[in-house]
Amino acid sequence: MNQPNSSTAETNQEICRPRDFRGELLICSGSGCTANAADEIRNELARLLTEHNLSNTYRIGMTGCHGFCAAGPIMIVQPEGIFYRKLTIKVLDRIVREHLIEGKPVESLLFKDTVGTIPKREDIPFFSRQVLISQRNKGLIDPESIDSYIGRDGYLAFTRTLRNRQPEEVIQSIIDSGLRGRGGGGFPTGLKWRACRDAVVSSGLSPIVVCNADHGMMQLESDPHSVIEGMLIGAFAVGASEGVIYLRNTYHLARKRLEIALAQAAEKGFLGTRIAQSAMSFTIRIHRGAGAFIGGESSSVVASISGSIPEPQARTIRNAVKGVHGRPTVVNNVETWATVPVIMHKGADWFAAIGTGIRKGEPLSGSSGTKVFSLIGDIAYPGQIEIPLGTSLGDVIARFGGGVPKQIPLKAVQIGGPTGGYIPASRLDLKLDFDSLKAAGTILGSGELIVLSEKKCIADSLKNTIEFLADESCGQCTPCREGLNIARSILRRITEGNATADDLDGLRELGLTMRETSMCQFGVTAANPILTALDSFLPELRAHIDQKRCPARVCKSLIRYEINAERCTGCTMCARACPVSVISGERKKPHRIDSTRCIRCGTCFEVCKFDAVEVK
Amino acid sequence: MADKITIRINGNAIKATRGANLLKVLQENGCDIPTLCAHRDLSPGGTCRMCLVELESSGVRSLVTSCNCTVDADVDVFTESEPVIRNRKRLAEMYLGRFPNVPVIRELAARCGVASSRFSSPVTDPNPRACILCGRCVRACKEFVIERILDFAGKGINRHVAMPFNEMDEHCVGCSSCAYVCPTGAIRIVDDLNQPVNPQLIRDHGMKVNAEMATLDKMQNRMREVGTANIVEVMDKYELLPVMNYRFGSHPDTPKIDSKVLKSRYFTQEMADGCWRGCSMACAKAVDNYTLRTGPYKGQKVCVDGPEYETSGGGANMGCFDPDFIVEYNFYCDTYGIDTISFATTMGFVMEAFEAGQITEHHTGGLKLNFGAVDDALEVLHQMARGEGFGVDVGQGIRWLKEKWVREYGADRQFLQDIGMECKGLEVSEYLPKESLAQQAGYGLAIKGPQHDEAWLIFMDMVNNQIPTFEDKAEALYYFPLFRTWFGLMGLCKIIWNDVVPANNKFEKEAAKIPDHVNNYFKYWEGMTGIPLNEESMLLQSARVYNLQRVMSVLLGYGTREYDRMPYRGMGPVTPPEYEWRKDYFDKQLRDILGVDPEGKSTEEKIRILRAHREDQYEKVTDVVYRRRGWTKNGVPKLSRLKELGIDLPEIVAIVRDRQDD
Repeated sequence: MNQPNSSTAETNQEICRPRDFRGELLICSGSGCTANAADEIRNELARLLTEHNLSNTYRIGMTGCHGFCAAGPIMIVQPEGIFYRKLTIKVLDRIVREHLIEGKPVESLLFKDTVGTIPKREDIPFFSRQVLISQRNKGLIDPESIDSYIGRDGYLAFTRTLRNRQPEEVIQSIIDSGLRGRGGGGFPTGLKWRACRDAVVSSGLSPIVVCNADHGMMQLESDPHSVIEGMLIGAFAVGASEGVIYLRNTYHLARKRLEIALAQAAEKGFLGTRIAQSAMSFTIRIHRGAGAFIGGESSSVVASISGSIPEPQARTIRNAVKGVHGRPTVVNNVETWATVPVIMHKGADWFAAIGTGIRKGEPLSGSSGTKVFSLIGDIAYPGQIEIPLGTSLGDVIARFGGGVPKQIPLKAVQIGGPTGGYIPASRLDLKLDFDSLKAAGTILGSGELIVLSEKKCIADSLKNTIEFLADESCGQCTPCREGLNIARSILRRITEGNATADDLDGLRELGLTMRETSMCQFGVTAANPILTALDSFLPELRAHIDQKRCPARVCKSLIRYEINAERCTGCTMCARACPVSVISGERKKPHRIDSTRCIRCGTCFEVCKFDAVEVK
Repeated sequence: MADKITIRINGNAIKATRGANLLKVLQENGCDIPTLCAHRDLSPGGTCRMCLVELESSGVRSLVTSCNCTVDADVDVFTESEPVIRNRKRLAEMYLGRFPNVPVIRELAARCGVASSRFSSPVTDPNPRACILCGRCVRACKEFVIERILDFAGKGINRHVAMPFNEMDEHCVGCSSCAYVCPTGAIRIVDDLNQPVNPQLIRDHGMKVNAEMATLDKMQNRMREVGTANIVEVMDKYELLPVMNYRFGSHPDTPKIDSKVLKSRYFTQEMADGCWRGCSMACAKAVDNYTLRTGPYKGQKVCVDGPEYETSGGGANMGCFDPDFIVEYNFYCDTYGIDTISFATTMGFVMEAFEAGQITEHHTGGLKLNFGAVDDALEVLHQMARGEGFGVDVGQGIRWLKEKWVREYGADRQFLQDIGMECKGLEVSEYLPKESLAQQAGYGLAIKGPQHDEAWLIFMDMVNNQIPTFEDKAEALYYFPLFRTWFGLMGLCKIIWNDVVPANNKFEKEAAKIPDHVNNYFKYWEGMTGIPLNEESMLLQSARVYNLQRVMSVLLGYGTREYDRMPYRGMGPVTPPEYEWRKDYFDKQLRDILGVDPEGKSTEEKIRILRAHREDQYEKVTDVVYRRRGWTKNGVPKLSRLKELGIDLPEIVAIVRDRQDD
């Protein structure tokens, strides 16, 4: 067996460079970049290198996702670390000639912001202030190469743990680190492991460690070995010889890379029997989940792996005691597992010092470490970032996300995914950590931050959220099944201008009962968007009811489109674009919209170059 | 288990058992808790959320559903606090909005103080028999009959109960468990093919059985998990397991073949193997993918039906405490059409005779048939099937072997008579009846020979101690053979009568009869025929057949007293090692019952004294039973009894007329 490389490459940006090449062209192969033709770019680049006789000077490599999907497809030219963004096949020729041959980076393809051009990744604000723990290898290693992972100290934490530590010590380290489950619940990971280990002792059953990969696509695509290494440490701690990765079935690329990684890990002797000449045996298999939203709930995961419908289980016994096939089971999510090796490598105290920190002996007293957040919606730089817990919401939006585009004011951020609450722009001081978010009526959840500008309507956004949640409810328990369905009806009425004042009271009562009586966390947290919207955006909701008006001019039933005759130049663009042909007018003369037949699709508004189409 | 803790319900301290179900505790203490998905005989659903209560522990209050909450710490329970009442009302309102005309929903809403709902929606269902998604039927299918034919399909508001792919599933046997637990009448039973007079009566009593199987079996016998093999360890514990041709009643190696081994290493399906589709007890078990070691199918993977208790007990009787052997001889007996009991009991006899030197390798064709000789025993079985060698002799049974060995090999006739466990030519089944007078006579007096179908009294006599006196035993030998003959005549299984018993059976006056279950059988009869039945009329029906059987036995030459006697091995120790095995026990009997001081007496002498006593007891009980049955001292039905039963037909009278000496 190859012993893992024990060099200590500590900085995020360093990477092992093969000596016989002058440099490397690292092309991102994450889902976003691949969808934007990263594979074709790689092929074309290879052709160009051959054409210019550079094949032995530059090597083409691939990396996992950088999380900066707004800039994709991305390529980094090593060793300088020049960061090229939004590549197309057409510009490759210039890069080869100007940069690789003449030594001058192509400035027009580099990252720019208000300050100016920034040629290197580590200098871009989006990256420079991140603290990378679970995503320590993003954009820096080849996700399909175990050597690439080992080259960045991969499997070092595991082999050292296996040789030098006792299972009980490992559990204590995880408890002391203050690591709380990154899947949303925030239960202290170490306590979960200890409960499992205790259950193994009392029941005599062999435990199972499970990675809940219903979420965490990017980590698996970019760095699958980090998850495998975390599971190995967890398996050592609880004494498991069996591991299962519950993988959402739609994660095709993640599955491919995981399968490669598992095979490589087995080949190197990290999986299988007598691991690293010890008595430990451990294997991991992939269990493909059906992909329903509710399937990611931890008792659903356990039910699915046990062969049942992936639905939350009405049980009072925890998975740690009685999980997959009745055996003690540790379920952690992708990000949690990927974090574990770093804690073992750098120590519990190091980890606990990041984030808001915890008080020793009180695992629920704070939020230590970092968390991956996804920025989506009305934001300049959508993507994924890993930052210390406790960072303020305003900081994340402004410094990492680059703010709302086009100077439009921020209205709200929905934090934690579809079951997260709406935090108004007035609360940008809110700290992103488990406890502050709970107090604000939302959750850390999946770490999704959905940014809504003033151009978005809360009623419309809430309606869409509840439509999604009502469809994704498993329907077992009454408050969630009936509550979401009734809430959906009410919200449809609100956005259509047919609601009454009583409907808002009904909505609040439904939300409270869902929160207080639902069987699983899905139903409990599904109340968050409802209740936070009522708390922070009541006037906007009331306008839909009392004045039959949508202040953001989004709700189709409450708006109409008109053409400002003074601004209209009679270019006929709108009339040609209208899908129902209700815009009339002669060329070079003001046009008119027949409001009675207009379907309010907004196409005319989008295509008008003179801002002549107005929403009323 | 009886760990009592104190909890407070709405401020009143009460005692509860640790681990008890909170909903049951609350109901027992008079709390009115509305529920929809909960059902007495089913596991908690936990989905309707109506039964929620507030718990306070260390100053923290939380809402929980009481149906799936166990009482395991000192807590305060509030069943009428503001959050409980508020949420109950809203849940009731949600239900009423969706199912406004379903009676149980209207009742529930009224109970929670809700008169109308603000929450109607596009999916409001006006059907008064609408399915309210409580899931009782889904759990009943799984828990009552171990099927999963009904389950939920769809998610969210589209959730509904369905069979796979929304098609009628041919595995559904129409047991009607789902309809029985349905609170709204959404499930209706369409047809009854046998046209019973009162199908509801049959169903109601069938459901009682289903509910007991779902709730009591796991605590009593685990028939669903391991089948009848569950009693291997019980029999060993009570010294009733036949070990090495009934010499001993237990063995240190029994744990190698007990139900734990079968469950963990052999039984592959926790379901019925098809003895009777839809049976909620599902005691028949199977071993899948078993690789055979011997015989014509050697090396092949087969499915073995069993083993049941008798087959495992037979292993002990041959001294073969090897589970692989038991599964293998089970398979080949089934395949060859040989009864495992007759094979095991005969082999036990052969092995003892071999070890005692009554027969030798010369007679067995070189087979070394010591106790525990698994390979040679299997070879005998294969020979038997092939019609070769020593197997041909063994296949004739114990009665035939005794004759041949005495006649041709000069074996000891008295010894073989004592140890050859057969009666009327049939081998004894796998229970050691030495200490149970009731079972000795149960075997000996059984009309068709000593198997346990007619009088399995050993459990009630030795384990449950339900027939302690001589009179009790004699009465049991009258009642039980008639009751068992009756349900045999009806084609009904006995296992649902006495293996799992009602929780309160021990308080019944005649607990051994399990009166509540006997009543189930009477109701099946009544539901089918429309004619009510009671103990008296049942016994009359049965006695007609039973006495006719005895007359036939007389005709065939086995229906008299001399054929009702058991070999002494079934009644007491034949050889010194058997006596020594339970020396203190037998010595005590001599002292306490016979007033004989065992001190200074040789084992042979003590055996003689004990034997005289036990044989005398057997004769006495035979006298009493014959009299109770209306038979002569020689065991022949009296003409007066035949007349009383209305079966004094000339052909029948002709058979017994000349045997009426009494």
